[in-house]
Amino acid sequence: MRRRAFVGTASATAAVAAAGFPNIVLGKGEPIRLGVIPPLTGGNALNGEEGHDGAEFAVRTINARAGKVYDDRPFELVVEDATSDNQTAVAAMNKLLTENVDAIALPVLSTQIQAMEPLVKPTGTPWLTGGTNVKNTLLGCESLFRFRASDGLTAAGLVNFAVGELKKSKIAIMTSSEVFGVGGGDQCELALKKLNMQAVSRQSWPVGAKDFTPEMLKIKQAGADAVIVYVQNPSDSALIFAALHQNDLKIPLIGSPGLGDANAIATAGPNANGNYAAIDYIPSAATQAFSVAFEQVYHRKPEVGSGEGWVYSAVLFLADVYRKIGTTDKGKTVAAIHATKDYHAMMGTYTCDADGNMLHELGIAQIENGAVKLVKTVKG
Amino acid sequence: MDFASNVQLLIGGLAMGSIYALVALGFVLIYNAVGVVNFAQGDFAMFPTYIAITFALPSVVLFGALVHWQLPIIAVYAVALLLTVLLGVLFNRIAYYPLRDRGWMPVVISTIGVSIFLRNLAQLVWGSQPLVFPSLFPMQSIEAGPLHLRPQDLLILAVAAVLIAFQYYLFERTTLGKQMRATAQDRTTARLIGIRVDRVVTITFIYSALLGAIAGLLVAPIFTVTKEMGGLIALKAFAASVVGGFGSIQGAIIGGLVIGIAEALGAFYISPAYSDAIAFVILIGVLLLRPQGLFGERVSEKA
Repeated sequence: MRRRAFVGTASATAAVAAAGFPNIVLGKGEPIRLGVIPPLTGGNALNGEEGHDGAEFAVRTINARAGKVYDDRPFELVVEDATSDNQTAVAAMNKLLTENVDAIALPVLSTQIQAMEPLVKPTGTPWLTGGTNVKNTLLGCESLFRFRASDGLTAAGLVNFAVGELKKSKIAIMTSSEVFGVGGGDQCELALKKLNMQAVSRQSWPVGAKDFTPEMLKIKQAGADAVIVYVQNPSDSALIFAALHQNDLKIPLIGSPGLGDANAIATAGPNANGNYAAIDYIPSAATQAFSVAFEQVYHRKPEVGSGEGWVYSAVLFLADVYRKIGTTDKGKTVAAIHATKDYHAMMGTYTCDADGNMLHELGIAQIENGAVKLVKTVKG
Repeated sequence: MDFASNVQLLIGGLAMGSIYALVALGFVLIYNAVGVVNFAQGDFAMFPTYIAITFALPSVVLFGALVHWQLPIIAVYAVALLLTVLLGVLFNRIAYYPLRDRGWMPVVISTIGVSIFLRNLAQLVWGSQPLVFPSLFPMQSIEAGPLHLRPQDLLILAVAAVLIAFQYYLFERTTLGKQMRATAQDRTTARLIGIRVDRVVTITFIYSALLGAIAGLLVAPIFTVTKEMGGLIALKAFAASVVGGFGSIQGAIIGGLVIGIAEALGAFYISPAYSDAIAFVILIGVLLLRPQGLFGERVSEKA
């Protein structure tokens, strides 16, 4: 009797083993390594901190769920500091790729993404990026995906809003003089050209400019009736709002997401009221809930569009992809992301186009009493 | 362009020039006292501003934890300046004093180390989020006839004028000022005539740190407070002190104002994109035509 029981148990174990049970046991609970590569030090540390915290909060959210990502597998963050220069960023990506990461999130800086791309491309590692420069997704890297609206979409949205909704015909363009600003300004000029228009004035300011009076006086002299601003730094945005008032220009600013940054609006105070900014998301109950939950943990409001929000939303999406395909195989993951259509994410609807762009909509918001209020949704 | 716009540009330029002048004075005082350029001077504008904002806002995140240490604004400035005094003493005792007999190079490297340390410490303590410093005045401009003036610019001009007057009084009319000038001129002789040189040097470090801190506190309401806020100011201030004649107090003030005004006018009449370049074109021009700077020769012999 005892012998028969043993034989029965042994046979059952062998049958389960033959069916692949040992593999399931090994995979179950094993961490999924998510590499994050934000610029945590140097001049772009703000972007880095926001990106890092967005990814960390997403991982915290997913790991708290029953079943975690799938099969009880949690996300494990592997962090490398991209610093604020491209050379070190490339070295950091090199190191990250040797650490057996299943996927990578960040950075948000387009120049860093372009510098890192040749390293990531041959590995086929799924790469969730936030840089908005149009070129990023045209580099030929199959596994690179962009989870924010591109500058092409944002610039066209700003121009069409100024001309179509606000009925402005003498548009001036004002940009920062680094890659982000110049690229965005060029896209604005292209969008104006499509409407058979051209900017009445184009001004750019150097990094760290402290007084925008000269730019405003030039725009005033050109007779502009609206200014499209491509700006990244919240300090610059606050000074631009102040300079608009100081120089008695009673025309609206319509800016990239940096113009609607919470810190910029807080610094500018009432000077920011009445102006417009693009936002990289469509406000919803989900974005509101995210803001509240994030603030409880990090004691500060998140930048939903360009800061923490897009990374959070992208990592949650990646977890859903893993859950759906049941594997972290890089090729299968990349293929599954490419096949994405009408996925309802926190930031909006993700549909992957041929170049790896996921988000094809953005909001235009008006600044009122220290907050942004959606006035138009732009579809790409 | 009309007269009012030119005046507006001029006032903006003078305000920024005053900030450059205050930081440049800090450069010059330390250079005169110990013969080295203090590359942490810009960070003395940044770090005390972070200290001030910790007590100026209802709540601030320190090391990731929320603290509520808000004080009345006068107390905020007092705490920030007192801690700056401490910072000046520590800077003197840690970065300069142990290296004072080893030539200028180790001291310069030490100041670079302090600069990096302060920036990283600020990031560690306060994080990377820019902080908004509460303004004593509304951010809207004041209308004065055709002019629209930024109240903070007017405050900067007023405070800078008072400090420059104080500077003159200190150096020309007080024993301490004369001791500082004597120490700058010849430390050995100063020691021989009974001046406590180390004490005077420490006071010079404190005074330079305070000048930087005041510059930082003045610009904080119109910029956000970030760990980089002192960097570019210090670069322009350095150019200002070279233009004025390195070592010259008058030169630092005039150099700061020249660069501030040239930037503002150049940004309008040439291009805003080149406003940074304008400061350095002036620097190169002065170095080519008058290498000792505008006031270099006369004052370096005197002080």
